[in-house]
Amino acid sequence: MDDHAHDAPPNPYLTARRSPEETRALAERVAKLEKLLTDKGLVDKATLDHVVEVYEHDIGPMNGARVVARAWVDDEYRGRLLANATAAIAELGFSGLQGEHMIALENTRDVHNVVVCTLCSCYPWPVLGLPPTWYKSPAYRSRIVIDPRGVLAELGLDLPDDIEVRVWDSSAEIRYLVIPERPTGSGHLSESELAALVTRDSMIGVARAAAPGPGR
Amino acid sequence: MSEAPQADPGIALMPGLEALPRRSGELVFHADWERRAFALAVTLSERGLFSWDEFRERLVARIAAADTTADIPGAPGYYEHWLAALEQTLERKRLL
Repeated sequence: MDDHAHDAPPNPYLTARRSPEETRALAERVAKLEKLLTDKGLVDKATLDHVVEVYEHDIGPMNGARVVARAWVDDEYRGRLLANATAAIAELGFSGLQGEHMIALENTRDVHNVVVCTLCSCYPWPVLGLPPTWYKSPAYRSRIVIDPRGVLAELGLDLPDDIEVRVWDSSAEIRYLVIPERPTGSGHLSESELAALVTRDSMIGVARAAAPGPGR
Repeated sequence: MSEAPQADPGIALMPGLEALPRRSGELVFHADWERRAFALAVTLSERGLFSWDEFRERLVARIAAADTTADIPGAPGYYEHWLAALEQTLERKRLL
């Protein structure tokens, strides 16, 4: 498949390029700049720390929720999503995938899908936002494969015995989006109201989509 | 009081050459000075000392002028371009 873009240019800035001495010189340059701006009353340490904190923990785009909601209301879209998730996600205007090929996995009454990256922490950020901390933990990465039902139960998801659990291992090239089952009693909701029920955990497969609130 | 209760998507999700380096979504900083330089530009722009677009244009110009097609040892890293763009912007505003 040509759209399996292994050759998409990776971000060239992911590896450190500076020696300890060069790093020290740059650190001094920034410290001087910070002091100058602090002395002028333009910045303060607490605000700078806070900005870093906010951006490092910003979940980012949760575009997957809109993809799932569209799949719930539009059977043809769901078909396209299951056939070629990369194209169907792009269809909604979401891009930013860096060469990863997306696959959508549909949860049904008979099959429950859950996603892991056993090797590192591969995760489709442009679609799902920042991964939860536990997703990267060695415990989740090793145990979900060995005992998916047990781990899911610990995470609060009790599955009936007769449902088949499938565990999918992400890689640098292939990343997964779980389409959770549409919650019962959500028939009256609009597409955007439905999207609000689609949690990050439900798109990883460790939770169901949220139940609609008491309305109507 | 915080001035940035939430990340600005106009910064966090910049596309193209100037996209913040991320690994599976997480920001990649190689040293603490990169975090400080990041926060300085964001904070000063939020406080209205310059517009984000003004800073961003300088950042893009510097990255475009560098060879980004290969990960060349010794070539400036992303936040060196960032720092230079910030200094240039502050000089222009006579804040340095």
